[in-house]
Amino acid sequence: MLRLLDRLEEAIIAFLIGAATLIIFFAVVHRYGLGFMAKSVANFNAWGLPALAGAARSIYRTMAGINMTWAQELTIYMFVWMAKFGAAYGVRTGIHVGVDVLINQLQARTRVGFILFGLLAGALFTGIVGSLGANFVWHMAHTDQTSADLEVPMWLVYLCVPLGSWLMSFRFLQVAVSYWKTGELPKHDHSHVAGLDEEEAKA
Amino acid sequence: MSALIIFALLLALMLTGMPISISLGLTVLTFLFTMTTVPIESVALKLFTGIEKFEIMAIPFFILAGNFLTHGGVARRMIRFASSMVGHWHGGLGLAGVMACALFAAVSGSSPATVVAIGSIILPAMVKQGFPTRFGAGVITTSGALGILIPPSIVMVMYAVATSGQLVIGPNGTPVTSASVGQLFIAGVIPGLMLATLLGITTWYRAWKNDYPRLPRASWAERIKALSESFWGLFLIVIVIGGIYTGAFTPTEAAAMSAVYAFVVAVFVYRDMKLREVGKVLLDSASMSAMLLYIITNAVLFSFLMTSENIPQAMAGWMVDQGLGWITFLLFVNVLLLLAGNVMEPSSIVLIMAPILFPVAVRLGIDPVHFGILIVVNMEVGMCHPPVGLNLYVASGITKMGITELTVAVWPWLMTMLGFLVLVTYWPELSLFLPRMLGML
Repeated sequence: MLRLLDRLEEAIIAFLIGAATLIIFFAVVHRYGLGFMAKSVANFNAWGLPALAGAARSIYRTMAGINMTWAQELTIYMFVWMAKFGAAYGVRTGIHVGVDVLINQLQARTRVGFILFGLLAGALFTGIVGSLGANFVWHMAHTDQTSADLEVPMWLVYLCVPLGSWLMSFRFLQVAVSYWKTGELPKHDHSHVAGLDEEEAKA
Repeated sequence: MSALIIFALLLALMLTGMPISISLGLTVLTFLFTMTTVPIESVALKLFTGIEKFEIMAIPFFILAGNFLTHGGVARRMIRFASSMVGHWHGGLGLAGVMACALFAAVSGSSPATVVAIGSIILPAMVKQGFPTRFGAGVITTSGALGILIPPSIVMVMYAVATSGQLVIGPNGTPVTSASVGQLFIAGVIPGLMLATLLGITTWYRAWKNDYPRLPRASWAERIKALSESFWGLFLIVIVIGGIYTGAFTPTEAAAMSAVYAFVVAVFVYRDMKLREVGKVLLDSASMSAMLLYIITNAVLFSFLMTSENIPQAMAGWMVDQGLGWITFLLFVNVLLLLAGNVMEPSSIVLIMAPILFPVAVRLGIDPVHFGILIVVNMEVGMCHPPVGLNLYVASGITKMGITELTVAVWPWLMTMLGFLVLVTYWPELSLFLPRMLGML
């Protein structure tokens, strides 16, 4: 069950960043493609190639039929969702860094206390934010506010705040429990890059 | 008074070692629940709208592009090109390392990523050639910092985001607009090239004095071959800088384009990355971006609190009343940021400090673009010295050297950077010349 949640979390954030990139890419290609096609029609006509001009015109019509104005808004929402769930994933992998200069000087026992305090404070903060968010979404759901371009209900967009924050709170508690039991924290290694080991072998 | 409480609370929470984003958030919440009349609803709204800006989305895109480039063999080809160009001079591979870092910095927006990409390939090669590990580590740790000065740069995006939307007043009472991402990127070009040259000179001098190995001179045929091999990577510079400068793309669009381009180059052109590795790269990039976006969300909350308590404005007024000029102020800013660089990583510093210092700077007549470049150079220095310099940790991961030993190793280059910082601070034209010439200011 927990494993399933982990995989789901990973799949969601990887999908969101990948899809958002492609959407913006196609929106830009679309914008320039239209100009290019319009120019092609004129050029083909000028060169006396009516068949090609006709083909270019029909491509232009098809492309102009696709409305991409929603792309920017959708990407922003996808990234907000990615940020909320990714932050929860980051707790599990230990990517959220703090100032550990001082507590590293402390004795091991006091240090454990501080680290647990930090983790619980994280759980508390994200828990409060989640509840604030849930309250906000609840009020939002009773209005019929929709987003500007996509016209989806706003409460659905903002749903990521309670869901993401509560998930993050849960992750903080999870890490705190496992730290209490095993004394180990997830640690993100900035110097490790997957795939570079083979590079070194080649070099 | 309230300012003092806010800062004391933030400092105390941060020193317990909890994530910076959480300490920012808790400070804001505590303050809101106990001491102010700002309605909690407006804060809840900020929590959602804090990152709903299209400019911020450049950050995940640039991180993604950087990761594709790191994995995709672009760095390796750039190193080959750089060593064919400068490898026969004193400093050999070391000098090539500086140049490769500068080239890679022009396609990547992050310093640690540059250190990883270039360092993990060139450092083992340098040791094999007989360079002391210290020398190589020193070169790459500091040159990698070019990643955030030479555009694109994630820290510049952060600065633009952190200072935008504030109503700031210039010395003669007129409102001043904050710097845009595009302006900052263009302004970073000359200082970036200059710092690269200075680091190169330092490398050359040290190598010349100690007589380190040099590479055989490459023929022009070899150079052209290396150039054509790295062409796909280098072309990205044209897409990003050219696209933003000509107005073809917004910085965010340029970032998305470069992510897709880097993916295509890594997987289909160079074929150094397999399709099944893409999922892992996406996940890593997403989690890194989410971490930064989470700090941004909470920093936006924090600076909203600061502004609603009128703290930056009060500070600006106080500075002006004291008759402090911009020279003293910038000295103070440099010392403050260097000190902060001892305990926090750059994105947090920029997000917390920039909104507070920016109104003061503008009030004293400092150009927003110049101020941004100054902050970025400060962050570069912070990344290269202990205890929290991320570049140091990355380099220590690659070289297996201890942090203390590395600290000694980076010393000559760090001094160069500090000298350069003074230059950037007190010579605004260095940053402002290019954007002004291109008509962007």
